[in-house]
Amino acid sequence: MDILIQQLFNGLTLGSVYSLVALGLTLVYGILHIPNFAHGALYMVGGYITLTMMTQAGLNYWIAIVISCVVVGGLAVLMERLVFHPLRHAPAIHDKIAAIGIMLFLEALVQFIWGAEYQTMVSPYGQVVNVAGVTLTMQRLLIIVSTVVVMIVLYIFLKKTFTGATIIALSQNREGANLVGINTNRVAMLTFLISGALAAIAVSLSAPINLVFPGMGHLVLTKAFVIIILGGMGSIPGAIAGGYILGFTESLGATYLSNDYKDVIAFVILVLILTIKPNGLFAKGGH
Amino acid sequence: MKKQKFRFLSMILIAFMFLLAACSGGGSKSSSGGGSGESGGEGTVNIGYTGPLSGPAAFYGERTLNGVKMAAEEINEAGGVDIDGKKFKINVVSLDDKYLPNEAGSNAKRLIQENETPIVFTPHSGGIFALQVFNQIDNFLIGAYSSEPAIAEAKNPLTVMIPPRYDRYLPPFTKYTMERFGKKIAFLPTASQYGKDWAEALQPYWEEQGGEVVYNASIDFAKDTDFFTIITNALKEKPDVMFIGGASEPTAKVVKQARELGFEGGFVIMDQAKLDEMSRALGNSYEMLEGSIGVLPLVNSEEAAVPDYVKKYNEKYGEDPGSEAGLNYIAMHIMAKAMEAANSVDDPAKIREHIEDGIANIPEEAKIYRVDGIDKEGGNFLYQLEVGAVEDGKVITVPAE
Repeated sequence: MDILIQQLFNGLTLGSVYSLVALGLTLVYGILHIPNFAHGALYMVGGYITLTMMTQAGLNYWIAIVISCVVVGGLAVLMERLVFHPLRHAPAIHDKIAAIGIMLFLEALVQFIWGAEYQTMVSPYGQVVNVAGVTLTMQRLLIIVSTVVVMIVLYIFLKKTFTGATIIALSQNREGANLVGINTNRVAMLTFLISGALAAIAVSLSAPINLVFPGMGHLVLTKAFVIIILGGMGSIPGAIAGGYILGFTESLGATYLSNDYKDVIAFVILVLILTIKPNGLFAKGGH
Repeated sequence: MKKQKFRFLSMILIAFMFLLAACSGGGSKSSSGGGSGESGGEGTVNIGYTGPLSGPAAFYGERTLNGVKMAAEEINEAGGVDIDGKKFKINVVSLDDKYLPNEAGSNAKRLIQENETPIVFTPHSGGIFALQVFNQIDNFLIGAYSSEPAIAEAKNPLTVMIPPRYDRYLPPFTKYTMERFGKKIAFLPTASQYGKDWAEALQPYWEEQGGEVVYNASIDFAKDTDFFTIITNALKEKPDVMFIGGASEPTAKVVKQARELGFEGGFVIMDQAKLDEMSRALGNSYEMLEGSIGVLPLVNSEEAAVPDYVKKYNEKYGEDPGSEAGLNYIAMHIMAKAMEAANSVDDPAKIREHIEDGIANIPEEAKIYRVDGIDKEGGNFLYQLEVGAVEDGKVITVPAE
């Protein structure tokens, strides 16, 4: 029983990180209509910015996260302006190639600046908490709680504010949104900003339990792709649900079936869901 | 108009990307330790190196190369390699193989053809196996830095295997942890081929000594974000000891998470991970590593030449040297002395024959390991092996035999 609760907790931690990354990816999908392959690289850059702010500038963990959000958000906006915006009338394949190009560029750049070695991010929340035989660490609790907070804030923003509604409008129909007077350029930039900030939050929360290194974006990006396909491309509830489904599948699958096959199990679930609902769990009619 | 401007701008940007990528990629680098000239009884001998100098394993490649280079510079400062009164300066030519066996193979071909290198150093088993395919035909000596026993078992006459074979670690590691903690072990090494080979060698030995493997899995450091799940499952079997390993920093994270989950036993640490690097990743403390046994960190060695070497290395590269730098350093010194004994800088077979003399003549200041000789057939250096264990927050030396 203890094992089950412990593994549910482990799955929740994993799922939270996956969901945050997938949320950013799914939001941008609404604008680009392709998965943004460079999203993992944004995640990685966020890790380095937070780390540098903490170690070099000696800033507080939370301030470092805020700066990282701004920098990575800015980088995502720059990406949209310089690369994706000029390509908006081009065939989708051009966006894909550009996104892969950006990913390779950012990885090489980070390695050039910070080097290839593993770096450790020490968070101030290293304490271990034992509750009824289950081991929780403060950092993991922080991941779970922060993710929920971020999701609620994002939900309120998208559903209850006018600016949020424009983002949804744009993802539903770009021309229609333009016709009713929405400044599509501004909204596209805003979406990229949010997506970058989400990546920075996700990495800043999860890096203390792992390490910071140039290849770290790949860890989450492939998983995030699976999640947004599972949840329905462009769907926000889909990204959240998909993230937790994958997190729980990995931890429970590794425990009760086999550790070596935990990725296989995740993909079998993907196949099953797509067989029953070919457009994903929360697919919208629009696309 | 505006659109064209953007297109132009993005093209410039892409061009810039390629330029930067090319810069950071790094091509062939040649570094001569002193001046290289051929006047008045002086010559130059090129020594080849192929290893990962870019990509995720770049720091590992750099460290092994640093060892070779540092030795070459010292030899040059002392006058060079003396062949019948003629002094040869050593020039290290390094190429990047991105950790890939095929790249290592083509790099070695290039080094032989362009630089006529009698010796090629390479720090990964894949590259070594690739080079062993043609090194007897192309006539060059491999300076093989990998503890994989199969390298020695290939009985390649032109291979010198630098580090101790990892199967030599099995008895001391097993004895120490079994006596201190108990007979139940959980296997959680890295998911690489090397990690699997290690596990396959350790399992029968552990069982022969009356132990039991209660959990057997591996961690893929390139795929897993969090190790809590797998460690929870391993601890469910109540092991006394855990077998872990891989690059030092992620391995340190495994230790940390195991301790967080309440594990109080010992760790058998694969020779790829280094105790001192792991303690650095754990906030410069050996507290969590209590009861670990692994390769003795060079800085903790009691050899007389070590303190000076550590100081020199620190001045040059700004970090403590590990065995990657140290073993390649002593190997380069041995090779140079072997050339002198063989009276040749360009006959690999002769150099290999005189390695024994090279070992006997290692300069005092380079004796940072105790090398006794070389295994005739396999070409493996024979060491007086010592391993390091963590007791009461400090590394102590444990004799291997």
